[in-house]
Amino acid sequence: MILFIVLWVALSPLGWLVTDAMNMTGAPASKVMEEIQQTIQVFTIVSMPLCAFVLAVLLYSLFGWKHVQGDRPKFESPAIRTNRVGVGLWVGATSVLALFLVGWGLVELAQITANAYGTIPSDEQPDDEKPLIVNVTGQQWVWTFEYPEHDRVTSAQLYLPVDRPVYFNVTSKDVIHNFWAVELGVKIDANPGAITQTGVTPNKIGTFNVRCAELCGLHHAYMQTKIRVVDNDDFNSWVREMGGQKTS
Amino acid sequence: MARATTESKMPLSPTTGEPMSTIARRSIGALWAFIVMDVSGTLALIISYSYLWALNVNDAWAPPGAKLDAAQTDETLPKASDVTFAPEWPFWAIFAGVVVATIFMWFAYKRLVAGHKGEAIAAATFSLLLSGALLVAQVVQIISFEFKTSQGAYASAVYALTASNVVHLTLVCFLLIGIVNRTHMGLINPVVAYQARMMSIWMTWISIAFLLGAVCTTLMLESPNTDPAVFGTFNVS
Amino acid sequence: MTIAPPRTTRRSSTTSRTSSRTGSADAARANRGGAGLKQDGGGRGGSGAVARVFGNPVPQPPQHGKPGGLLRHLNLGTALLLGSVMALGFGYLANRLTKSGATDATFAPLAPEYIYLAGLFGWTLGFSIGIGAFDGPVRWLLGRELTHADAEYLAGKNLGWQRYFKYTTDHKVVGIQYLVAAMVTLGFGGLLAMLIRTELGVTWAEVFTPSIYNSIIGTHGIAMIIAMIVIVMGPVGNFIVPMMIGARDMAFPRLNALSLWLFVIALVCLISSLFVGGVQDGWSVYQPLAAQSPPGMLGYQMTIIIFAISTGVASVNLIVTILLMRAKGMTWVRTPIFVYGVFGAAIMGLYAFPFYQYSQLLAMSDRILDTSFFVPLQGGSVWLYENLFWLLGHPEVYVILLPSTAIMLELMPVFYRKPLFSFNFAIAGIVGVVALSGLVWAHHMYMTGWAPSANYPFMLSTELISIPVGFLVLVAIGTMWRGTVWTRLPVMAIYALVFNKIIGGITGIYLSDVPVDQYMHGSMFVVAHFHYMLMGAGLFGAMGGIAYFFPKMTGRMLDERAGSIGLWTAFAGFQLTFGSMFVAGLQGQPRRVLQFDDLFNISNWLSTIGAFVIGLGMLIFMGAIISSWIAGKKAPANPWGSKSLEWQTPTPVPLENFEVLPVVTSRPYDYGVPDPYDAKMLADEKAREKQTAKVAV
Repeated sequence: MILFIVLWVALSPLGWLVTDAMNMTGAPASKVMEEIQQTIQVFTIVSMPLCAFVLAVLLYSLFGWKHVQGDRPKFESPAIRTNRVGVGLWVGATSVLALFLVGWGLVELAQITANAYGTIPSDEQPDDEKPLIVNVTGQQWVWTFEYPEHDRVTSAQLYLPVDRPVYFNVTSKDVIHNFWAVELGVKIDANPGAITQTGVTPNKIGTFNVRCAELCGLHHAYMQTKIRVVDNDDFNSWVREMGGQKTS
Repeated sequence: MARATTESKMPLSPTTGEPMSTIARRSIGALWAFIVMDVSGTLALIISYSYLWALNVNDAWAPPGAKLDAAQTDETLPKASDVTFAPEWPFWAIFAGVVVATIFMWFAYKRLVAGHKGEAIAAATFSLLLSGALLVAQVVQIISFEFKTSQGAYASAVYALTASNVVHLTLVCFLLIGIVNRTHMGLINPVVAYQARMMSIWMTWISIAFLLGAVCTTLMLESPNTDPAVFGTFNVS
Repeated sequence: MTIAPPRTTRRSSTTSRTSSRTGSADAARANRGGAGLKQDGGGRGGSGAVARVFGNPVPQPPQHGKPGGLLRHLNLGTALLLGSVMALGFGYLANRLTKSGATDATFAPLAPEYIYLAGLFGWTLGFSIGIGAFDGPVRWLLGRELTHADAEYLAGKNLGWQRYFKYTTDHKVVGIQYLVAAMVTLGFGGLLAMLIRTELGVTWAEVFTPSIYNSIIGTHGIAMIIAMIVIVMGPVGNFIVPMMIGARDMAFPRLNALSLWLFVIALVCLISSLFVGGVQDGWSVYQPLAAQSPPGMLGYQMTIIIFAISTGVASVNLIVTILLMRAKGMTWVRTPIFVYGVFGAAIMGLYAFPFYQYSQLLAMSDRILDTSFFVPLQGGSVWLYENLFWLLGHPEVYVILLPSTAIMLELMPVFYRKPLFSFNFAIAGIVGVVALSGLVWAHHMYMTGWAPSANYPFMLSTELISIPVGFLVLVAIGTMWRGTVWTRLPVMAIYALVFNKIIGGITGIYLSDVPVDQYMHGSMFVVAHFHYMLMGAGLFGAMGGIAYFFPKMTGRMLDERAGSIGLWTAFAGFQLTFGSMFVAGLQGQPRRVLQFDDLFNISNWLSTIGAFVIGLGMLIFMGAIISSWIAGKKAPANPWGSKSLEWQTPTPVPLENFEVLPVVTSRPYDYGVPDPYDAKMLADEKAREKQTAKVAV
């Protein structure tokens, strides 16, 4: 029992360590990413008791209950074929844990999807609340971003205004790629022959990473580019620099 | 043709010494397992056909002629292209033939168990000849397709389904030759008839496989997706 | 088959049958000489003879030539010869028939594709003919039944070491052949793993060019998957399961030999692919990238097509054997858990492998016949490929996991000398996994955008499958509970297995959550997770199982000191390698990349150091196996004191396993003394004390 508590306490910091690891590439830059990190933390924390228990049994069985070495010993152990309470507790605990995780996950997914698809543009919205649409094209081995509402300005780096929902249409010109905006917590396959959608609202100004997360050939490792989240005025200046007239 | 053994008890397997009824149970069990495998494989083809039909990627499901025909509204002009969906009747005709061959195999099995070896061999031989003819017919159908394999997803899927049919029929012919020969030699007889039974069960599954193919190529022709995305762009056709 | 001979020799047959009743001893003696019954004129001559099959006289079909027939002359040598000749011949023909300068739509030359594919086909056909695989079907067609003497020859009776190089049907021989072939595949995959880690450890330069690196990771993946599928079901499933259920052999011995030799054929196809450009698209070879691959991709496709037949045949064999050949009295309640595990794995392999096979057939058709199943420009869909692939891809990992876990559960009672805890929940766990495994595949496709609303039900089913897997962990730790453990090598592996399975299982739950997967998919986190499950739980469990059955399979005791050093060295290296890999994934390193940002350097250096430690540990373990096999201490028949049927046979195991087929009368795992703390027992004790007190008074 003591071993169990000790292990549980020892393992708990993992919840925060995993978040630290994720932040090494850059702090979360959108609500979506923040929720993802929170989910990972929560999952880690609630799994710790189970993990600690199993590890405690493993250790105790070697050092607590007896162990014997050498040639076949003449011992027999208590013939416990089952234990209603133990089995019931385990099944109950794991089921509750699994259902909690499922419930959390389903709710989370619905929220993120609402966030993402809540950015679907509609004509009734006023101009500055309308999501920004970006067409993302993956091809071996570069990303191209096109802004259809801004005179189809095309760029190799993704410029986004802060605090404004952006809606991505993603496709590929050759093989399957995967558009992964790391710190924004956005990921969707770029499929040839299909257009997939996702969305996010960046809430932090800075420079972030896009990586390709699906093997796409020789230079898959180098298929990366940058995201620059800037405030709205800087974004408009950039659009004008790139040759677009229409700004928001 | 009942021998001394048959009147007393079930003959024993010469290799393991077990009664042939035990061997029969195992073999029929194995047959069902093989059928499960073939069901999965056939389902893979059916899924391919229906999924591609539903998606109509890049508007390239139908063979090129089908679209031209649809675009052409002047009935007095000849068809722009013959490269369109395959006619449906051959699929059903071959399916009907397979059903008949299956029925004859069942009939052969039943007559054999009742003790009429001659009738059994005759029925099985007819099933064999019919299956051979169906195999030829299936190959002829494949050769006569107007579209090439590279002309769209429908073409690919139909070639795959009919190729699977060819493989199935070839296997059936091979097995029927064995059944006829072995029944003639007495190795399949009223007491130990399980291999004929296995053949009948197998051919029943083959009929179902042919049915699934015929249903696909009749009911799933025009794709329901009428505005697919244009490849490599963000436009919709 | 019945022995009723053709009409022409009616008289001789009746005579022989009566003679069989009276003079069976003479006829049997004559037959046991093995010399053919040529005096009957062979062929359609009367069967004439009777053989003693396990003590009973059984009429025999005509013996055509010496026992074994054509297979007397066929062996691995003839197979290799014919396979190579036909490979070269078909390749040459393909070369002649391909128009000079022919190219495909992308201006790549077509000749190498056709030549390689023709060569692979020739290899497969030639090897199969050369090893004797077609002997069975041709015999069936012609009605030439096997006699008992034929069957004994095929099973390798009195053939000595040569029987390991022939189309031998004895399940014990097939088990050993599988063990060797699986270890070769593991070694091959392991070597490639070292190369991968070398590239990833050398963070300041490209050790391999991208095409070679991509080829290494793809081939490593598929080689390891194939090795892990086979590593327990092959050696232990074939050698031990028939004995464990009290049978003499599998249900279809010739199919057993077929599945092994098809595996060998497939393995050669895979290795050959390295010489023609390799498999440059990971082990999942997503289309359409695979279409850009050099001809080596055809090698991959052929490997899978053949391997699927091998696995399918093996699954059929295992299923029928387990269902219909258990000993008298072995009801399902009395069947050992390992049998359940193998049965479950065989069922999953049976229904799911054809999807993978067909995905490769269709991909090959796209490549060679210009069809467009997966070519979006011509109407194909990449999602179709992904669905077909993962329909197998997921049950497959349970095909790997279940036998390893089941073998460890099987041996735990022997070393803890107490029954398996909650046998019913162990079965429930296996049944739950098998039932749910077919419903979770699209969790590999959360991020593909194929059906966003489908992510919800798949998330539910995937989280739910953790519950039956958890049952298996429950059974393991329940069996440890209050048990004294006899710390020998086989059982120590359970500690490695449970430790790794807990980590793998929990990280799997992270990945099953769609929002979390939105960050983790395609990163090294996924790679670390599946290595923890397949290698951490799968391979270490397999190592324990092989150590356990080593005395029965090879007749020698495994050197435990060396084996333990190897296993625990590998375990330590494993934690370092894949623990760091989790960190790399959390930091954001994508998978299948050969160069990356400096941010990931430290994690990768640590992983590479760990990998070399794993390599060292595995080499030590392999060395222990090989040296013990050659010169280890001779093993007694039952060194572990197991009460299970397979250990009640002598070592080396005779051809027929049991002289008399056993009858089972008790539950398995009948170990241990009554539990002094059992509630019911305590109540009984109290009642008895009260009784004696009453009487005394």
